[in-house]
Amino acid sequence: MPFEYLPIMAQNSAPKPPRVLFTPSKSAWSPVTKLVSQSRVALLSSAALRLANQQPFSPREDLSYRRVPSDPNAGPIIIDHHSGIGTVPKQDPEIVFPRSALAALAEKRIVGALSPFHFSFMGGVRQHQEIENVLAPALAEELATMEVDLALLVPY
Amino acid sequence: MSKVTPPRAAFVDHPVGRTFGPPNERSRHEAILTTALSELPKFTSTGEIRDLGCQWLANGSRAWEADLRAEMLHNR
Repeated sequence: MPFEYLPIMAQNSAPKPPRVLFTPSKSAWSPVTKLVSQSRVALLSSAALRLANQQPFSPREDLSYRRVPSDPNAGPIIIDHHSGIGTVPKQDPEIVFPRSALAALAEKRIVGALSPFHFSFMGGVRQHQEIENVLAPALAEELATMEVDLALLVPY
Repeated sequence: MSKVTPPRAAFVDHPVGRTFGPPNERSRHEAILTTALSELPKFTSTGEIRDLGCQWLANGSRAWEADLRAEMLHNR
């Protein structure tokens, strides 16, 4: 039986009302056209990640995103997300953003190539329509520009 | 996950915020990522969730749940 997160999240968000689960209006299905070993791959993270020299995320309701270089040597990752589970991931952001692991898979040709950038935004935002109508299309455009075949979202 | 209808979803039964394993265990991170990517050709319809069969503790114990609950409530 998987761990029940929603009752704890509701308790944490008090006195705000519990979160309402939201269903997007459009299906996100897209057919796979290439093998993973031939695909350019990007990571998406809702942990509000950035490099030290990038603008910090606002603590709440931030609808911006950051381009995070896929090169693990580009600099350490900072987690701005305010979640109470951040103590351990902040010790090693790779456990929620496996940038080094993905680079290793590219070296081994298990994935075809890395997108030059991965992308991160603030999870837990309650402005669902703005996410669907503004943030998600902006990320989709970034992925298309970088000719990404496969995007892996790691929720936080 | 099913409530937000991602096109394809892989379930990792780890504490939230530790999707790819404990800190600094690079080989475990890589193994979980490899497993997740290997599931890709098996999806046939939107909203499907595939369980990767990962366990946080090797013996299958769920003792981590009490610690996680306390952590989430303490750090809110």
